[in-house]
Amino acid sequence: MNYIELASQFAPELILTIGALAIMMIGLFLANSQKKVLGYLATIFLAVAGLVIVCRGIYDIQIEGILADSLTIDPMSQFFKLTFLVVSLIVVIASIKEYDGHQNQDEYYTLILLGTIGMMVVASAIDIVTMFIGFELASLSTYALAGFNKKDSNSLEAAVKYFIVGALSSTLLLFGLSYIYGMSGGLTNISELAVFFNSNPTVLQSPMGVVALMLIVAGFGFKMALVPFHMWAPDTYQGAPTVISALLAAGSKKMAFVAAFRILLVAMIAIKIDIAMVFMILAIITMTLGNVVALSQRSLKRMLAYSSVAQAGYISMVFVVMSPEALTGGILYVMSHAFMKTGAFIAVAALGYMLLKENSNAKDVDHLDNFAGLGKRSPFLAFSIMIFLFALAGIPPTAGFVSKFILFYSVLKGGFLLLVIFAILNSALSLYYYARVVKYMYVLPPSSDEKLKVPGAYALAILLAIIGVLAIGIVPEPFVNWAANAANVLGL
Amino acid sequence: MMDYVLSLILFIPLIGAALTLLFTKSRESARMVAFVSSAISFVLTIMIYLQFESGLAFLEFQFTDKIPWMDYMGISYYLGVDGVSMPLILLNAILCPLTIVYAWGENKLPNQFFALILVLQAGVFGVFMALDFFLFYIFWELTLIPLYFLISIWGGPNKDYAAIKFFIYTHVASLVMVLGIFALYFSTGVNTFEIPVLLQAFSDIADPEMRVGIFLALFFGFLVKMPTVPFHTWLPDAHVEAPTAGSVLLAGVLLKMGGYGLFRVLLPMMEGLGPYRENIVTLMAVLAVVSILYATFLALAQKDLKKMVAYSSVAHMGYVMLGAAAFNYMSVSGAMFQQFSHGLITAVLFMSVGVIQHSVHTRIIPDLGGLADRMPKLAFLMMCGFMASLGLPAMSGFIAEFMVLTGSYLTLPVYALLAMLGIVATAGYHLWALQRAMFGSYNEKLGEPHDLANFELIPMAILVLLIILFGVYPGSVMEMFEYASKIIPGVMI
Repeated sequence: MNYIELASQFAPELILTIGALAIMMIGLFLANSQKKVLGYLATIFLAVAGLVIVCRGIYDIQIEGILADSLTIDPMSQFFKLTFLVVSLIVVIASIKEYDGHQNQDEYYTLILLGTIGMMVVASAIDIVTMFIGFELASLSTYALAGFNKKDSNSLEAAVKYFIVGALSSTLLLFGLSYIYGMSGGLTNISELAVFFNSNPTVLQSPMGVVALMLIVAGFGFKMALVPFHMWAPDTYQGAPTVISALLAAGSKKMAFVAAFRILLVAMIAIKIDIAMVFMILAIITMTLGNVVALSQRSLKRMLAYSSVAQAGYISMVFVVMSPEALTGGILYVMSHAFMKTGAFIAVAALGYMLLKENSNAKDVDHLDNFAGLGKRSPFLAFSIMIFLFALAGIPPTAGFVSKFILFYSVLKGGFLLLVIFAILNSALSLYYYARVVKYMYVLPPSSDEKLKVPGAYALAILLAIIGVLAIGIVPEPFVNWAANAANVLGL
Repeated sequence: MMDYVLSLILFIPLIGAALTLLFTKSRESARMVAFVSSAISFVLTIMIYLQFESGLAFLEFQFTDKIPWMDYMGISYYLGVDGVSMPLILLNAILCPLTIVYAWGENKLPNQFFALILVLQAGVFGVFMALDFFLFYIFWELTLIPLYFLISIWGGPNKDYAAIKFFIYTHVASLVMVLGIFALYFSTGVNTFEIPVLLQAFSDIADPEMRVGIFLALFFGFLVKMPTVPFHTWLPDAHVEAPTAGSVLLAGVLLKMGGYGLFRVLLPMMEGLGPYRENIVTLMAVLAVVSILYATFLALAQKDLKKMVAYSSVAHMGYVMLGAAAFNYMSVSGAMFQQFSHGLITAVLFMSVGVIQHSVHTRIIPDLGGLADRMPKLAFLMMCGFMASLGLPAMSGFIAEFMVLTGSYLTLPVYALLAMLGIVATAGYHLWALQRAMFGSYNEKLGEPHDLANFELIPMAILVLLIILFGVYPGSVMEMFEYASKIIPGVMI
């Protein structure tokens, strides 16, 4: 094995590993007030890792069989890695202000970097064991991050719920995968599994195969927060520190999608009809319930959490259609959603930060009432929240519109008229609660006339997300081609 | 320059909107920037209007501007005009600067107000120019956002309900329209979203049920926008709550987008409907006649002057639908002209109502009375508007409705006769309202109203002059419409 070559192939992950360790070590020697530097360091490491990925090529790179055929570098892995890196980058930039002066900043940034590495490993893995390990690395880091505000009981509740459900779902997933391992006679590589199941299609239809499939779908269902496995998501996203909710919704939840794309669409393609049936039901109830419940939410974080559930419902239509176009739409949706959701959560975090600074006893800073008159108090923040929400609703010219357009288009092309009608009705329904926030911001009078000044770090993070949302919305071509290249990797 | 003149017309208001929103601090500068940008668009529109040549074949366009955008799905940025769209672009170019002048005195957040009007103008331009369904849909949706804000920020007491109802109602309709567009795209298999190509490929779709399905999905999208009974309920709410400028543009140009959809997309498909064509025509004619009669009688019963005008819009758009359904050369060009003429007339009506509301703080007809005494200028212009709206000869509305009814009588005699019943009631509610609100003895409880300010007088006077001008000499606008309707395949000449 050529270690130099290996190091160059895994340069982004290695850079982040070095970064994580360095931040932890340097943090030991810094006073709390100086620990802000660690945030800058983490930003630099994430940006460099991203640059390395871009320099290696993202469109048509194809390196297979790394580390005993457990990892691959292809357009799909690059696409998701870059998405995760951008999400982490935006989150870290916003955190610089959020946790300025906090004593545990070293652990905080280390955990974010480690979590990002885990997500990147999942994006690259073509071996079910490697994938699982990546999952656990990302999950364990984010469990701790969800409970990072340790004096806040909501944050702790969020973390505990997230941990218990996360551990349970990992177990289900592992159990299901171990059945697959046993039935196939000891195969862990995804493409080998695909060959095996294609030549022995009856194996997966045996009782044991059905149990394995159920366990895997339930495991992924929890991770992707599909109804009825979604109950943890609203509590966790609401209770966790807002910047971390962004990471959870846009990063670690989407990690489950890339893993599911590889396992369900490649390894288990032999039973595609059964998978399609299951996901058809899951997708419809997920998007409907997510949107209907979001209608009545007064906490913006909780509303965004339910909207995230609904969006997962849209993306999971990919498992029903299973066409290259649908996968393209799904992959593009993941990236768009990363920008829209991260941006929305960060903007909510920025408002929370400013309100707490005004009045440190403020409760429920993400309550809808706090958004009243935001258009007057902070035009920038209100305008960016409006863009993110309209993007989530799928209004042109934003990323949300383009990805919804391509996804719905592909579902219709696949001949699933009923599914598209559900998706479209849901999309219309969702407009109601997004527009309500916009109404609060621009129509209702503010509670005080004092202007709010968005701190620079938040503004930068929000700006990055806006650029992403508008870039995909206005010049979609390169992103669509990239997503199409990524989708072709799976050879559907 | 002629290659991208349409893009200029389209983007100058958008740039103006950005400038108004971001860089103007005072009301004076905001309205000036807004007026100048819409005036530049107007000048450019006049320029292409004068250079426009009728005489091209069906689905051939002028001043086209095409840039590939998403080759993956065959989407391009593709603009162009023909006889169907040119006069409507002119209408939009005329109405927006006049609306801005009319709203000269806007005090509440003037820079946002004028910016939204410009965005609305750009969206409507985009709809009338787009030759790619994707682009068409983007602009179609883009018009919702500014109007939503115009209603929900500057609107009346019940604005929240009206704004959200308007938004959701029309958004759902657009989504159904998107389904139709997708279905058209897939079943023709041409891998492009270009409107002319898809329209030509429509009759090649093998399955006739599919063709009807596509037609109906698109029809629904346009129907709600026009709007046609029974999908009209969002309109009176939106109008009653909207600020005057919003109402003027809503009735003046936004509703015309629905009618434009009929002429641009649906009439060229008529030939391809095969055995179902009769049923579709009946459906359209029934909806048209029900709209005309039902909305007319509702208008008769309204106490709120603005609501009455809103229902009269629904009724007048019914003539557009009737002309389209009759599908002969005279009725179709009459329907197209009705769109143009109604845009001018309804603007005068809403402006008059706005002035009344502003100076005596009520629009309830029984509370008004004898306003002509104190507001003679308003009374004159408003009467001109009302006469035009009820179809007095020598005004543009007469020509349009006359052509629609004569044309429809040739192909749909029963429906045309039923629609004519509406004309009687139309004259009735206009005159009755005028009599109660403007004439008779002055109701002293209304205080001392002021007559039209200059910035209100000028746009209304210009509009009235245009109404009379086009009523006496429909000229090139009518020629364009006549030519455009003559070349639709299958139209009866």
